[in-house]
Amino acid sequence: MSLDLDIGVEVGTFELAVDLHVDPGETLAVLGPNGSGKSTLLRSIAGLIAVDRGRISVDGTVLDDAERSVFVPPDERSVGVVFQDYLLFDHLTALDNVAFGVRARGGSRQLARHTAHLWLGRVGLSDFEDVSPRQLSGGQAQRVALARALAVEPRLLLLDEPLAALDATTRRQVRRELRAHLQAFGGMRLLVTHDAVDAYALADRLAIVDHGRIVQTGTIAEITAHPRSAYVADLVGTNLIMGTVGPDGLATTTGVTVAVVADFVGPAFATIRPQSITLSLHPADTSARNQFTGVVDDIDRTGGRVRVGIDGPLRLTAEVTTAALETLGLRPGDTVWAACKATDIEVSPA
Amino acid sequence: MSTSDRNIERPSAGRRSPTSERLPWPALVLALLAIAFFALPFVGLLWRAPWGTVGDVLSSSSVRTALWLSIRTSLASTALAALFGIPLAWLLARVAFPGRSLVRALTTLSMVLPPVVAGVALFASLGRNGLVGRYLDDWFGLRLPFTTTGVIVAQTFVAMPFLVLTVEAALRQLNPGIEDAARTLGASRWYVFSRVTLPTIRPALAAGAVLAWARALGEFGATITFAGNFPGETQTMPLATYLALETDPDEAIILALALIAVSFTVLVGLRERWLGGLRP
Repeated sequence: MSLDLDIGVEVGTFELAVDLHVDPGETLAVLGPNGSGKSTLLRSIAGLIAVDRGRISVDGTVLDDAERSVFVPPDERSVGVVFQDYLLFDHLTALDNVAFGVRARGGSRQLARHTAHLWLGRVGLSDFEDVSPRQLSGGQAQRVALARALAVEPRLLLLDEPLAALDATTRRQVRRELRAHLQAFGGMRLLVTHDAVDAYALADRLAIVDHGRIVQTGTIAEITAHPRSAYVADLVGTNLIMGTVGPDGLATTTGVTVAVVADFVGPAFATIRPQSITLSLHPADTSARNQFTGVVDDIDRTGGRVRVGIDGPLRLTAEVTTAALETLGLRPGDTVWAACKATDIEVSPA
Repeated sequence: MSTSDRNIERPSAGRRSPTSERLPWPALVLALLAIAFFALPFVGLLWRAPWGTVGDVLSSSSVRTALWLSIRTSLASTALAALFGIPLAWLLARVAFPGRSLVRALTTLSMVLPPVVAGVALFASLGRNGLVGRYLDDWFGLRLPFTTTGVIVAQTFVAMPFLVLTVEAALRQLNPGIEDAARTLGASRWYVFSRVTLPTIRPALAAGAVLAWARALGEFGATITFAGNFPGETQTMPLATYLALETDPDEAIILALALIAVSFTVLVGLRERWLGGLRP
């Protein structure tokens, strides 16, 4: 019982060739830059384009199989999609947008309206039933789009850059709400995004794509700790710290307090780019408000850069140049001090 | 709030914003002349109108017959233009097939053709001895020339392109993602077309239908050539007006005013309700 696919799709000169699966109750984030084939992947799963090679199956039912010429049209797939720009129907009210799927699948008008009423309530938009999509804010439109997709109870929910169309302020709030909605939805979730923070906030597992290929898959912890290429390191090779923001800063579960700049309190996750961490052999006299000590346990050279793993109360990865590493003369087992400015730490509510 | 703040928020009436920029005066003069050119004929009609006999002429049975025939046939033509024109527009907008631009040119040719030529062409093809017309008569007993049905055929022939072009343009501008979204929600192709595509392009559809209707209502050349001029059968308002001009110019003017009134009422009535969406 899962989504399984191993497909090849050609779009002009671009070729997408991916192999992945999503388990029930799991959110997989496909992370990659624009133009890496994420939307093509989504469109194939939704049935909006046919694959050229391979097959897609959901819960053992084949949706698309190029070799055996099986193709289930989009309206017969149990796949819901939340599109990047939501694509709400402007000629219908918010309620009728959400009711659309039930009606299209032959449900009575009464059932459709009842279901839509229920779903708009679930996404907190009961007061907006008669409002035209054009009058909704970005965050509200996204919730209507989510309710519309979920109202037909799909087995699989696809989200295309769900937060990309929002401004920075609403984005954080919508991200948190979306996470709650995704967890409440029991089926499989697959989202594509170019934003690593969105992926950390929403997904259980990551698949990193580049030029139409999956270059690494794994849990967020696995990938952030051990990016297998400089490309993945740049994209996600970051320090991820979970904790709670309080008056003194971000308190981690291991009892470390990290100085951060946050305008909220409560559960949060923080990211520190390895490039923002400076290393020294002794406690440094620095303006950086964070300084942690630890033991070097990993030195990983990629190109002219070196990723240094530091094990201590806070597990950190720092990225320095080969020259800097040689000046410090670092070796595994050495004790080192890692410093980081509070302003270099990005904090998001969890 | 200080006075200076208020000035910043609301430009004073004297300040010109880019949108209210005045035209250079030669262009303005030409534009005003253009307006006068359109207004003058109406003023002339109103000035020449024999107001004393308006009631008598309009209540005469021959005028009412012509007006009623015009309304019936123009509405029927508009309905036919929509029935066939919308699928045609969809085909031209969405399906890339070889010779598409040729087909587009062919189906909109009657827009630029002199209507009399259109009438002759219809006669040669659908007339009693025409290419197809002879079989219509032999097999179905259907005679188009010199019948009310022929009037509708002639009007549809010249009016449909207006609807096709308007609807095709709207379909091209429509975000196909909207239709994709509907498909993923479980809508069949037909359901998407009727419940999403058509409602979304409704303003263009209404505009196209009004243009086609207006063209059908005013149709003269193709009608008189193909369908003739029989009162009650094929004599529509434009034909009646033209003929009246020969015998009784005053009656022609009243008929012309009646046609203008009908067109104007429909245009103004539809504008707010249906065409509102066309404006930005």
